[in-house]
Amino acid sequence: MQSFFQTLVSGLSFGAVYSLIALGFSLVYRTMGLVNFAHGAVLMTGAYLASTFYLSARLPFAVAVPAAVLATGVVGLLIERVLRPLESKDVDLMLIGTIGAGTVLEAVAILIWTSSGRGVPSPVRAAPLDVGGVRIPVYNLVVIAVAAVTMVLLTLFLQRTKRGAAMQAVAMDPEAATAVGIHVGRSNAVAFAIGAGLAALAGSLASPMLFVSPTMGDSLGIQGFAAAILGGFGSIPGAIVGGLGIGVIGSFAAQWFQGYSDLVTFVVFTVLVMVRPTGVFGEKTVNRA
Amino acid sequence: MIRRSGAAAALSAAAIAILAAACSAPGSSSGGSGGSGSGGSTGAASGPIKIAVVDAQSGSSSDLGQFEWRGVKLAVDQVNKAGGIDGRKIQLTLFDDQGDPTVGTELARKIASEGFTAMLGTAESSVTLAMAPILQAEHIPNITSGQSTKLLKLGSPYLFLNGPTGLTYDSTLAKYLVQTKGYKKFALLTNNDSYGAGEDSAFTSSLKSLGITPVAAEVVPADQTNMTPQLNTIRSRNPQVLFIGAEEAQSGLTVKQARSLGMTAVIAEGAPAGTPLFLSTAGVANADGTIVSSPYLGNGVDAASKAFAAAYTAAYGTAPELHGAKAYDGAEVMISALKACHACTGLALASAVRAVHRTGLLGTFAYDSQGVGIFSTSIGIIKNGTIEPVSS
Repeated sequence: MQSFFQTLVSGLSFGAVYSLIALGFSLVYRTMGLVNFAHGAVLMTGAYLASTFYLSARLPFAVAVPAAVLATGVVGLLIERVLRPLESKDVDLMLIGTIGAGTVLEAVAILIWTSSGRGVPSPVRAAPLDVGGVRIPVYNLVVIAVAAVTMVLLTLFLQRTKRGAAMQAVAMDPEAATAVGIHVGRSNAVAFAIGAGLAALAGSLASPMLFVSPTMGDSLGIQGFAAAILGGFGSIPGAIVGGLGIGVIGSFAAQWFQGYSDLVTFVVFTVLVMVRPTGVFGEKTVNRA
Repeated sequence: MIRRSGAAAALSAAAIAILAAACSAPGSSSGGSGGSGSGGSTGAASGPIKIAVVDAQSGSSSDLGQFEWRGVKLAVDQVNKAGGIDGRKIQLTLFDDQGDPTVGTELARKIASEGFTAMLGTAESSVTLAMAPILQAEHIPNITSGQSTKLLKLGSPYLFLNGPTGLTYDSTLAKYLVQTKGYKKFALLTNNDSYGAGEDSAFTSSLKSLGITPVAAEVVPADQTNMTPQLNTIRSRNPQVLFIGAEEAQSGLTVKQARSLGMTAVIAEGAPAGTPLFLSTAGVANADGTIVSSPYLGNGVDAASKAFAAAYTAAYGTAPELHGAKAYDGAEVMISALKACHACTGLALASAVRAVHRTGLLGTFAYDSQGVGIFSTSIGIIKNGTIEPVSS
């Protein structure tokens, strides 16, 4: 039983990171009907920026992460601005544009930080908590808490603010939203910036648990994408549930199937999606793609 | 319909022609160092001696690739500065295999088609395993930094190692841990690529020969970054020693995650544990006390390593480590062979490599029929971010 809970804790910690990634995917998709394939590369950019602020500029981790989130949000705005002309032509062109943007970000990261990765020391040096023999690294609790607060704030933003309501309206019917005076382009830009910020937050939080490298966004991006689909692409609660689900499935698969864990995780994922193609919280409002 | 059939036939013919051209003996084109029949030439060619260096320059293994390239280049620069071989300079060309065996096979064909005399690299057994059959078919001698015992099973007369096999690393390590330190409870965490599988097999058999059965043996995918589920299983068995068989970044990450779970087992590992990438990923404090089996424990062990370190630091502004030293030794072996056979090629060059007897940074090279030239390692311990030889 102790082993079960230990594996669960590990799965939830990484699941919280996947949830943040999935939230970014879903937010852009529900607003623009676009799958942002640059999301993993944006995550990597955020992780590098946070690690640079933390290790090179010697900023406290609690300052480095928000700074990286803001800077990466600007990167998201730039990507949206570059891709905006394609939106009126064909969303598929925009999708290909995001693949290109991801490639450019990886190349720029190699130019700036070289292809060698870097380890990021944990900002929390405390010994792990021992709860009935289950060891819980304190930093993992910090990650789960930050992810939870972020999800609550994002939900409040979408439901309680004028800008959030405008984004919801654009998601449901962009023509009607335009007719009532909502600037669709601005909504898209805000969605891209917030999505990039969420990716940066996920990457920054994951860096002390993992290893920052130009390719770190590849595997994390795939996990986050799978989480978004599992929860219901475009759904905010779905992203959270999907992220935690992929994290926990991956963690148990790693323990029970060892070298075949990736295979097992994605077989389980495929079966779940076959049973419920729209994911756990199939989003009905998204129909722009 | 007829026009469509005609076009299809023309396209098919063109495709077959292209395929035929692609499949025609790429090594037959004569480059700077001459042809490469199975018997080899004895060095009548002129112009530079073309040697390919294949190592990852991008991706997660790029650190290794850069260490390797610097080591090779230093040795070649030195011999070129001294006049070259029989008046001919060595011309190095660096190829990026991205740590990917598929890219490696493409590069092997490219090297053959462009008339390279020999190849140095790669840093990874899995890439060398993919390239070796092509290089053997094209009669191109290769000195690799790979250490998997699977390389020996290929039985290629053209393939040589620039260091000991994984079995040597691991049997030395196991003997030290069991016989000198008296540890009895071992756990293994290895990855599932060629290197990790080789380490798993070598360390397990080394323990078995000492009468020890591991209390846990966990395997992770080579690209896995969260090792905590497997570490949880290992922790529940309470081992005294955790042996890691994975590349630098994954090893460092494993140590970091093990310590974050409160695991206090002694960490033991082969060559990856001595590298800067391992230390930066694990963190200096987490890596402290790690027992390392390596044929190159540091830059100040003897006069040769001091001279090498001084030259390397002067050239690159940074201190060398094991991989740079291995690659330097491999290049020196190749240079010695080329000198001995007057820049011959093919099987003649492979025979000359096998005949080399020289003392390098890693020890005295004396190749056996399987292409292994070094048969021992030393044991070190990481203290404050540097490896120190253990007293016994």
